[in-house]
Amino acid sequence: MDFQPDASLEAFREQVRGFLRDQVPADLKGQQRCTRSPREQITRWQKLLTERGWGAPYWPKEHGGTGWSVPQILVFDDECSAAGTPTLDGFVHKMLGPVLNSFATPEQKAEHLPPVFNGERLWCQGFSEPGAGSDLASLRTRAERDGDHYVVNGQKIWTSYAHDADWIFLLVRTNMDVKKQAGISFLLVDMRTPGITVRPIRSIDDAHHLNETFFDNVRVPVANLIGGEGQGWNITKFLLNNEHATVADLPELKRYMRELRLIGSTLQVDDQPLFEQPGFALKLARLDAELQAIEMLVQRVARLEQQHNPASHTLGSILKIRATELQQRMTEAQIEALADYGAIAYPHPHEADPQQPFPQQALARGISHDMFLRRASTIYGGTSEVQRGIIAKMLFQL
Amino acid sequence: MDFEFTSEQRLLQDSLRRYVDKAYSFEARTALLKAGKDGSADNWGLFAANGWLMAALPEEYGGLGGTLVDTVIIAQELGRGLVLEPFMACAVLAAQTLLATGSEAQKARLVPQLADGTYRIALAYGEAGSRGMPLPVTLQAEPVHDGFRLSGRKSLVLGAVGAKAFIVSAQIPQAPGISLLLVDADRPGLTCQTLPLHDGTWAQALHFDGVEVGADALLGEAGQGLSGLRQGLANGIVALCAELVGGMEKTIEVTADYLKVRQQFGVPIGSFQALQHRMADMAAELELARSSLHAALDAMANDDAVTRDRTVSASKMLICRAAKSVCGQGIQLHGGIGMTEEYLVGHYYKRAVVADLLLGSSDSHEAACAAALQAQLRA
Ligand SMILES: Cc1cc2nc3c(=O)[nH]c(=O)nc-3n(C[C@H](O)[C@H](O)[C@H](O)COP(=O)(O)OP(=O)(O)OC[C@H]3O[C@@H](n4cnc5c(N)ncnc54)[C@H](O)[C@@H]3O)c2cc1C
Repeated sequence: MDFQPDASLEAFREQVRGFLRDQVPADLKGQQRCTRSPREQITRWQKLLTERGWGAPYWPKEHGGTGWSVPQILVFDDECSAAGTPTLDGFVHKMLGPVLNSFATPEQKAEHLPPVFNGERLWCQGFSEPGAGSDLASLRTRAERDGDHYVVNGQKIWTSYAHDADWIFLLVRTNMDVKKQAGISFLLVDMRTPGITVRPIRSIDDAHHLNETFFDNVRVPVANLIGGEGQGWNITKFLLNNEHATVADLPELKRYMRELRLIGSTLQVDDQPLFEQPGFALKLARLDAELQAIEMLVQRVARLEQQHNPASHTLGSILKIRATELQQRMTEAQIEALADYGAIAYPHPHEADPQQPFPQQALARGISHDMFLRRASTIYGGTSEVQRGIIAKMLFQL
Repeated sequence: MDFEFTSEQRLLQDSLRRYVDKAYSFEARTALLKAGKDGSADNWGLFAANGWLMAALPEEYGGLGGTLVDTVIIAQELGRGLVLEPFMACAVLAAQTLLATGSEAQKARLVPQLADGTYRIALAYGEAGSRGMPLPVTLQAEPVHDGFRLSGRKSLVLGAVGAKAFIVSAQIPQAPGISLLLVDADRPGLTCQTLPLHDGTWAQALHFDGVEVGADALLGEAGQGLSGLRQGLANGIVALCAELVGGMEKTIEVTADYLKVRQQFGVPIGSFQALQHRMADMAAELELARSSLHAALDAMANDDAVTRDRTVSASKMLICRAAKSVCGQGIQLHGGIGMTEEYLVGHYYKRAVVADLLLGSSDSHEAACAAALQAQLRA
């Protein structure tokens, strides 16, 4: 262990900054990033990165990625967040991509990897069902073999961005006669296939990210099966174990801290900036201490994940719980810092401006949307309660 | 001290519970939200007809002569249903401020109309720099020949939509201290920007650009308005806290029901000890909040203004924080369904978030408590 500064990392940061400054047009910067950016922006941003040779920033070199180290990835994400670039399609970069790289056939890779780099095929994740949330293995959507097709019937729910996705990666039941985990398969489905219906669900941040997705005799080529029949559960574990460092959403946590500091410097109380108030400063100090620790924990977990070290699973669960709780507390702290302005329902950042600007709109818009949506962070990606169960079991065999 | 309701209080509670359960279902409320006004005028008329607006107003002005306990009973039940009409803002906050500051003649003229619901007033006291606390006030009321000219801004006036007049806190140059003036909502020079809040209620930001009012607009004495304003605010805070206690009750009931029916891993999720303990903690938070509300009622009935304000501030922060935590956990224990606009628990959380920020945020009240304790220790 040592904590020598890494000069090459600073050079890398300069490189990223230079790219963001010189090659990214202004209308792709200064965006709100908590949720997925609009399609047109994702596509433009993806193409720009691909041109620069950074089309798959999180993947190893042998799969066409940048092969960046964990610290480099963190620097990249951090700088992009600070610049407010659009998001990438996280579903394909962080979840499906590693699955394809490890489990897909050469034909499947040839079909699905090129569109990642041109940003023209957006993905969504079809795992959860009304009856299968935390108990994912009890899922009931069925895929029955009919010649060289599967016929898919069933319902998924909470399918984020299904309304704006071209493809979905789906967990289906292909065998009813074995242990429930062993009957699950991992299928890629074109969202334009007849028989798929997507219905919107509005969430408490007053926006549309979530959907119900219905499958009514949807015919999917057998060639779209990833791994073998019954491999779906193993692939899912692989996928979920890779996402802890991602769910922590460190770049967003750092953005929240920047915004909190900005609020503290902008608002005036008793003719002084808010940060002079002891209550605000103490709260900021506690959050800052935790953020520093989370930043280190993210790096520990990400490194273990990169080495495929199983110790990353428990530590990842710990990170998931604490980072998502911090997301909630930091966004709540922002709203609290706004005081009564925090109660105002500003228009969503992706919506049109109101005719007459709301008071403190430039400072406050978007914060409440993040805060309300962050209530879900402790629910998706394995609820905090389920994570605590995993930790107790893995660490102490309880 | 007696924690049991009298039979009249029980009747009052029952009548509200029946009303909220029948007429204010979640679906009915959702329809009102979609209509996009601050509640409905018909409902307000009904509140008046049922005597809820006049419950705590003095008999000599057309009220029923009840106490703050009646207000708390009403607010708590309205809070269970997330009722949108501005009961707290107009029938408590503004009405009690008027009672505490108005002259006999002003009260005799106005309070009966508040009691029967024909006239609605709102309290315009908060400014950008005061963050929902009564001070500082920068809005100027400059004396002109037979009255005042008002210039300045009020940031977030609750219950302003549909109010016929505002009680406005102001500085009168020749009279140090805070003065309160009653200003008709349609005065020339007054512009109102309507702002939606997260919980589906509305507020207005007011801009006074040389608004002229007569000398009779002044409530009480020039420069002497602060103590009445604080009294009005204390009443409003207690009502707001009572609403949240009702909201927490409902959230806990709904969540307990859900834990019994939602199955995962082949069992009701309520059989998981982690969730049982969470429910127990939520119940504990609720009961502590209820007791804190009782402490505030005790202080309102018995204490001097300084002690009263400290206790009310303590209750404000404790109860609002409890409500945010309990309602946040209500979402958590529901999983994904708790995150949806069509389901009710998320709306209780939104109300708790908004209430935490109104009438001075929990942070501001915590600072006020700390300052009061420091002053006590220094003395
Ligand atoms: C904003 C958002 C986006 C999402 N996006 C997607 C997506 O794109 N694709 C997708 O497939 N899914 C998505 N999900 C679904 C998400 O994965 C599920 O919500 C999650 O798995 C929880 O399942 P559930 O909602 O059915 O809750 P439940 O599993 O019913 O949980 C309800 C409560 O019970 C608790 N509980 C359950 N089991 C246990 C146990 N064994 N011990 C203790 N407590 C337990 C939970 O912690 C929770 O508090 C999303 C969810 C949200 C909220």
